[in-house]
Amino acid sequence: MPAEAPAHVTRTRSGDPVTFLEAISEALWEEMERDERVFLLGEDIGAYGGAFKVTRGFLERFGPTRVIDTPISEGGFTGAAAGAAHMGLRPVVEMQFMDFISPAYDVLTNYIATSLYRGAGPMPLVVRGPVGGGNRGGPFHSQNVEMAFFHTPGLKIVYPSNPRDAKGLLKSAIRDDNPVIFEEHKGLYRAPHCREVLPAEDYVVPLGSARTALEGEDLTVVTYGLMVHRSLEAAAELARDGIRAEVIDLRTLLPLDEEAIADSLKKTGKLLIVHEDTRTGGIAGEIAIRMNEQAFEWLDGPILRVTAIDSPVPFSAELEDYFLPGVQDVVTAARYLVRY
Amino acid sequence: MPPEPAAHAPPGEFARLGPEVARDLLYLGFQARSLESCVRELARSDVLDAALADFRLDPRSAVVARAMRSTTGGMGDLCHPGPLSPGPALAFGATPLEFLRHLAGKGTSPASAREGGLSWTDVRRGMIGWGSPRSGTATQVLAGAALAFRQRGEDRAALVVEGRAALESGAWHEGINLAGAVRAPLVVVLAPPEDGDRFGDADVEAVALSYGITSARLDTEPLEHHCGTAAAARRRAVAGEGPTLIELLPLDAGDRWAMHDAFAARAVATEDLSERDLDAIRRAAAAGVEHAVGRLEREPEPAARDALAPVCTGASPPPPWTRRDPPAPDTPAPDQPAEQPHAG
Repeated sequence: MPAEAPAHVTRTRSGDPVTFLEAISEALWEEMERDERVFLLGEDIGAYGGAFKVTRGFLERFGPTRVIDTPISEGGFTGAAAGAAHMGLRPVVEMQFMDFISPAYDVLTNYIATSLYRGAGPMPLVVRGPVGGGNRGGPFHSQNVEMAFFHTPGLKIVYPSNPRDAKGLLKSAIRDDNPVIFEEHKGLYRAPHCREVLPAEDYVVPLGSARTALEGEDLTVVTYGLMVHRSLEAAAELARDGIRAEVIDLRTLLPLDEEAIADSLKKTGKLLIVHEDTRTGGIAGEIAIRMNEQAFEWLDGPILRVTAIDSPVPFSAELEDYFLPGVQDVVTAARYLVRY
Repeated sequence: MPPEPAAHAPPGEFARLGPEVARDLLYLGFQARSLESCVRELARSDVLDAALADFRLDPRSAVVARAMRSTTGGMGDLCHPGPLSPGPALAFGATPLEFLRHLAGKGTSPASAREGGLSWTDVRRGMIGWGSPRSGTATQVLAGAALAFRQRGEDRAALVVEGRAALESGAWHEGINLAGAVRAPLVVVLAPPEDGDRFGDADVEAVALSYGITSARLDTEPLEHHCGTAAAARRRAVAGEGPTLIELLPLDAGDRWAMHDAFAARAVATEDLSERDLDAIRRAAAAGVEHAVGRLEREPEPAARDALAPVCTGASPPPPWTRRDPPAPDTPAPDQPAEQPHAG
């Protein structure tokens, strides 16, 4: 007799608000209930329920063949996920922290991402896990990994900012026939201000589609993940000075919804890109060149960026707070841009 | 599947193979041998990469693969041919023409000329190809495929052939560790080192013991023994007893096909086959290879724009804007939208 569903995957069914983390759990649970091809691999995800308890209760319900506690070998179990995907399953790999994805870089970029192009068929798998700083995790438990994979054709990268999108995007990622890297910011996992009641029905949020988090006319702020919240805070402060910022939440980084960015830029004429990832080689550079190619004539000022500084994520609170981009950085850059 | 060898029986005294398997083994051996010499010849005449001028097949490779259960419906065993390709691939239904098209990078190659190496992927026939014969990645991937078989309770196993040098890669150890931990139905064949490979001094039996799995070693015993050993490994794997490592010992380069010749001679001596039958098998195998060689030069080269194949389902990369059409001088870049407000 399978175990009952634990409370943290049934809040939506009960009409209660969910946290970002619970939205992830609900998406996984519902997809595993819906499709027996979906299964989970990762370190300590079974008996322990995962480092952040995303999969607490899953082992009891779905059993050890669908919730697999793996050895500590990110490359090995990501490669195994590829083999299972070849055989028609839909594996969801958990990286305990996304910082640990680097041992799987080889198999992800060389084997998995090239599969369809090589004629080896689609590769329906998801690699998901926690990212981001602000938790005093230091250099090895705080990184954002999107740009390590962004330039690899064949991958998709998703980075949601709220529970509703997290659930809908993760369901889309699991149903997608391509490999998807799914980043979940730890700062959002249990953030009280993020709790929301989700639609009771089964819904998905399509990959590759940005959303307008706030409408405005004076400048466009393009961002994603936790920085959506920082940017909205900044926009509220700017609004007190009569500056109306439009905030675009990318949601999916690859494929990039450049049409949504260009449309907003054509409306405002100013573009500010905000990301928590470090500066050099960050996604701001790619967005800037794409807008240069597609909407140069609409630009009424330089494209600016607010990012973390180019260093490893430091451990102490003082250092990390300086390292991370904050609300005031966004406000300062936006004011400069609007005056330009 | 062929019968398994009796425990501890001396070579040559194992249960006889069924006639279908025996004929297959003879055919595959003749085919592989013929293909080997053709590849060398084509490499020496610059039709194929010159690095293939010393191309050598291992006669045991197709035999081990024949012990698995291959089908064309996507529900049979799985095989990564690795450095012994095309031997195992031939046993899984690949044809000499496909192999030559693949090596030559023709537009008709199974990987559409977008991948090189010695093997390619065709899941329906149970083949998983990968460029590196000794990186260990294939062991990880096949372990996951085997995991899928076990999860669904299927009578299927995965055969992965890796170069022995894979034992020196962390990726291989991660793959075999996972396979051992979850008792995945996996058979791992470790091919002898190629010229220039580091051999290392790893003791395969000790490695297997350290992962709690079984090992076996194949030398120049009769082919029946090789086939039976692989079949036994497969049986254990499917029964949930976990992976087996099968180490192929190096063969004398000059006498590699002696095992196959001896097998053919035994088949005739025991009157399982007449000389005439044997000759017919030999000629049929050679004819297939000759046909492939004859066809190769008429096979089309890939069209350059085939480089724009999808990298994600339904999503091809756009062509470079400088190459979309012959651009007329002074025309705006095609990436630019038509409604530039201040253009010009």
